[in-house]
Amino acid sequence: MEIKVLYFGVLAEVTQTMFRQYSGIISFSHLMQRINDEYPDFVHYTYRIAVNSVLQNEEPQLKNNDEVAFLPPFAGG
Amino acid sequence: MNLSGSHNDRGGQSLFVGRVRADEKGMKRVRAIEYTAYGDMAALEAKKIKEEVLSGFSDVRDIAILHSTGLVNAGEISLLILVSAGHRRQAIDACSMTVELIKERLPVWKKEIFDDLSHEWINEKKA
Repeated sequence: MEIKVLYFGVLAEVTQTMFRQYSGIISFSHLMQRINDEYPDFVHYTYRIAVNSVLQNEEPQLKNNDEVAFLPPFAGG
Repeated sequence: MNLSGSHNDRGGQSLFVGRVRADEKGMKRVRAIEYTAYGDMAALEAKKIKEEVLSGFSDVRDIAILHSTGLVNAGEISLLILVSAGHRRQAIDACSMTVELIKERLPVWKKEIFDDLSHEWINEKKA
């Protein structure tokens, strides 16, 4: 699957980018494995996950071309 | 002055203005905050928040929310909320609720930038 990944807040600093496209992803855990391999510091941060702008409470079932966003704790206002 | 367009049924309006504070942290002072937002999700969430507040306050007619993104200097405005209602009580209460929901649920992040140009993410948590 092709998966678009967005990183926000401190995670954009950790990864040095706000956007990455990942190819050949077979599942969410596979995507996490790729991200953690690429950015070893990623595991040190707290975040929530949204798929196509919807917050997820459980491990999501990804589809081709889904947009997965990694969201550190919000700080609006 | 007209803040309610052509509507003349709005007897009470409550305005919240959020501004960047020049907080002191140790030897450093905040000179600006850089805001980033997940735009698509923030638009959806702001719409949901408006709907929730409108459904909880029968007298509230309209809610306007404006949130800055990018660099906002100390003293400048980062958030504007205007709630219009038939009467003052619900305008004030609904405005207060909207501010709290925005702070809790809007996918926005802020990076404090200090006078020595170092920075710190607000609410950053290590797992």
